[in-house]
Amino acid sequence: MNDLINHIPYLLNGFKITFILSFYSIIFSLLLGIILGIVRFFKLPFVSFICACFIELTRSIPLILYIVFIHYTISPYLFNTYNITSYLGLNSVEMQTALISLTLFTSAYIAEIVRSGMENIDRQQIWDAKSLGFSTIQTIQYIILPVVLAKSLPAWIAQFSSLIKDTSLVSVIGLIELTRAAEIISEITRKDFVIMIFTLLIYFIICFVLSKLAQYLNNKYNHINV
Amino acid sequence: MYNVDFSIIYESLPQVFEGLKTTVYVCIFAFLLAFLFASIITYFRVLKGNKILEKVIVVFVEFIRNTPLLLQIYVVFKFLPEIGLTFSPIMSGIISLSIYQGVYFSEVIRSGIAQIKGEQKNVAFALGFSSFETFRLIIFPQALKNVISPLGSQVINLIKNSSLLSFIAVSDIFYISYQKIADDFRIIEYFTLCLILYTSLTSIVLIFTYIFEFCLKIKYKEVAFT
Repeated sequence: MNDLINHIPYLLNGFKITFILSFYSIIFSLLLGIILGIVRFFKLPFVSFICACFIELTRSIPLILYIVFIHYTISPYLFNTYNITSYLGLNSVEMQTALISLTLFTSAYIAEIVRSGMENIDRQQIWDAKSLGFSTIQTIQYIILPVVLAKSLPAWIAQFSSLIKDTSLVSVIGLIELTRAAEIISEITRKDFVIMIFTLLIYFIICFVLSKLAQYLNNKYNHINV
Repeated sequence: MYNVDFSIIYESLPQVFEGLKTTVYVCIFAFLLAFLFASIITYFRVLKGNKILEKVIVVFVEFIRNTPLLLQIYVVFKFLPEIGLTFSPIMSGIISLSIYQGVYFSEVIRSGIAQIKGEQKNVAFALGFSSFETFRLIIFPQALKNVISPLGSQVINLIKNSSLLSFIAVSDIFYISYQKIADDFRIIEYFTLCLILYTSLTSIVLIFTYIFEFCLKIKYKEVAFT
């Protein structure tokens, strides 16, 4: 048991990486997903087609393939030229890859949730807003988004809980996050059971709280009719 | 400058084909096991009025749903041998995959059962069906008819999740392509190959889903229970 306690900081370090990745990916994928969903909904020529291609392509391949692809193609180039992630304090290619791929991957799913939420809105409301003198941006901002947000919040939270579970896949490019850290410790100490169950419980508590939150919000906003 | 050259793939096509065979084998096996597992869980959760068993199943389902699949694969692959159950990598992968997806299947089937009118169960009991017969002959077929398309999307998830088995060295499509990428850095070519293979597998499932839905629609046009 004693040598397990010695390894707790290592596990916490892994947890830190999981937490940072999930946190930034949630924020960025929410922004990108809402934009993609709106663009796809409004059927602009060409741009919407590109968005639809991106969304469908992303949804049809495994995340692990996505991570590897971005790690070998876009990420090194971006790291050498712009290095956007240095502003976030994540100064490594692996972190950048993980952030980009998780963000793009989740934003495709978020976009689909947003679009299906918007398609449930009566088109009459959009026309009404137009006739009352709202511009398109104002229509989205004041009429569409509040309702869509309230209606699809549970689905978003479910998606985020699956994002947190998916962060375990970034170990394929050598990032030591929670799952990988647990595996390494279990290999060093030969006490698989304790450390694995402990890690499972960490994930379980986070995701279970999120799923309960989703359930609560679903009950709360269920009466909104569009 | 990177020159895209697809002729490089021809040489390794037989190996990738072996990987495809492994993936298909894993998916079919895991699907059958998951379906069986899901039916058993659903039966005990919905029809058998055993409160303690129901609670145990609910806890199990929530636990599996809220923890990452990768960690579950590690647990099955590394922990089970210590208590005397040794499986080959492919077998332990199939087991963890079928448990994970079986839980999702059971949730989908349960949502289908919720659409069926509640009195059918009582009528069947009144006519002398046992609880297993009620489930097998009355509830389950109707529930399955309701949930063909969500079930299909879960099967697609299963195919995508099967790429995680490469973490425990099951040589599926992703594993072999990743090795090839590490060999000669032909990332775009092998990525395209993976993309084509995975999307064709998922498209086959989609087509089967549509065929099933169409046939069922013709067979049971409108069965009104009033």
